[in-house]
Amino acid sequence: MLAYEENPEQVERADLVVGLPTHNDAENIAHPTTEAAKGLLDYFGDKNSVIINCDNHSEDGTKEAFLQTPSEIPKIYLSTPPETTGRGYNLRNLIEKAIQLQSQAVIVVDADLQSITSHWIKNLGEPIFAGFGFVAPLYVRHKYEGAVANSIIYPLTRALYGRRVRQPIGGDFAFATNLAETYLHHPSWNDRVGQFGVDIWMTTLAIYEGIPICQSFVGRPKIYRDNGQIVPSDPAFSQIVGTLLDLVILFQDLWGRVKWSKPTAIYGFGMGEVEPPEPIEVSQTELHEGFVQGFEKHQQLWESVLENNIYNKLGEIRELPLAHFSFPSEIWARILYSYCVAYKSEVVDREPLLHSLVPLFLGKNLSFVKKTERMSIQQAEEYIENECMIFEEAKPYLLNKWGGV
Amino acid sequence: MAKILVVDDEEHIRLLYSEELKEEGYDVITAEGGHGLLERIEQDSPDLVVLDIKMVDYDGLDLLQDIRNKFYDLPVILSTAYDTFKEDMKSIAADFYVVKSFDLTELKKKISMALEASGAS
Repeated sequence: MLAYEENPEQVERADLVVGLPTHNDAENIAHPTTEAAKGLLDYFGDKNSVIINCDNHSEDGTKEAFLQTPSEIPKIYLSTPPETTGRGYNLRNLIEKAIQLQSQAVIVVDADLQSITSHWIKNLGEPIFAGFGFVAPLYVRHKYEGAVANSIIYPLTRALYGRRVRQPIGGDFAFATNLAETYLHHPSWNDRVGQFGVDIWMTTLAIYEGIPICQSFVGRPKIYRDNGQIVPSDPAFSQIVGTLLDLVILFQDLWGRVKWSKPTAIYGFGMGEVEPPEPIEVSQTELHEGFVQGFEKHQQLWESVLENNIYNKLGEIRELPLAHFSFPSEIWARILYSYCVAYKSEVVDREPLLHSLVPLFLGKNLSFVKKTERMSIQQAEEYIENECMIFEEAKPYLLNKWGGV
Repeated sequence: MAKILVVDDEEHIRLLYSEELKEEGYDVITAEGGHGLLERIEQDSPDLVVLDIKMVDYDGLDLLQDIRNKFYDLPVILSTAYDTFKEDMKSIAADFYVVKSFDLTELKKKISMALEASGAS
């Protein structure tokens, strides 16, 4: 998928690579490039490093903005062909290049990060050189931020594969290059992974391969271009959740024998006081409307994939006024497990199935927003942890239904 | 028989946990602090550690970090008199936490779950 490369300093080897995936990020890329270069110089000065911008043939001058950003660290620009877009394709080009450069570690940070500091590079990179194979980020986030991760991806991944990775689709992470070979040759690569499915794909593969995983606390809250958006724009939601469900089918041999979950190592504390994340406004009315309108569109589909008692419970939830709205986590866990089974059995086409999950997710989110309204970030985190336990306790429901498909 | 290492600087807690957990069929060993703890774990190979958070000379959360970095998958249950430790994000490296009590039902349940998760039950 690599169509174009510009390597002005003719870099042929690099121990450490920082990758910045982009698509029309000319306005944003200078800051993360500068901080990456500073981090590489300050904390990995003894290593040969390179910063790689893996781009989707941006037409807004991303390449020029990247290459013109002053840096003592050499830079390489890569691009997919004009007709190929997707974060996953960018990362695939990055992985190929990292292998070619015989790198030991690859750090990936979002190119639209406004809050990145050189410490992020240190904290994501150091665990790899300490023996970990994959480093996931830990941020202080607003309780309403990362809703898809909080309500779907984290609880499901944790309950299925038994490993607690709090930000499995955080966007900023690091991996050892021996894992890069796995990524490059794994048969589960598909177009969804080539798009926004790539983050959960990389995290899940790391878990499945039994790679030592570390969660690294990067310090500052994540502030980026799309802050505040609860539901990823379509088709990102389908790409992320669809990839997760594709892997559920593929990795049954692991999750079928996993019971409960285990934590991961933590890195990067002792950084002093951490600033609070930016406030996020959520419209409860819009979430409520999104949930209720889902019945008009998806009622029939829900009836066909959910057990009667769960579907009936949805009807009861629908009747609740906004002021008393509540979507029990036990029901949510069973709905998601039912979707895993329906996705596998293809009782309905997979794309409409994924789309039909959005209103239910909005309803669950509304419930979360209401329940955590007066909670601190820490209390909301505890609430999420309790919800995850509900998913783990409900896992036999999935095992029973899965066997019958 | 799963082997459990109880780390607590209060003798009566070590005794209580030992007696009750032995009755549950576990092999129990104890340590009264963090000094030499990693070496002790290496030597005795426990299947699970119950770790007091606040000991006179040691911060249990720092010990947890050390344990997790050296023994990646060893289950650790934090035991504490107060739950304010949850404000420290380091605590998420623990498998579970329990609030100290003379009723060990919760601790026993969490031990059983952690051992099941690690395949040592």
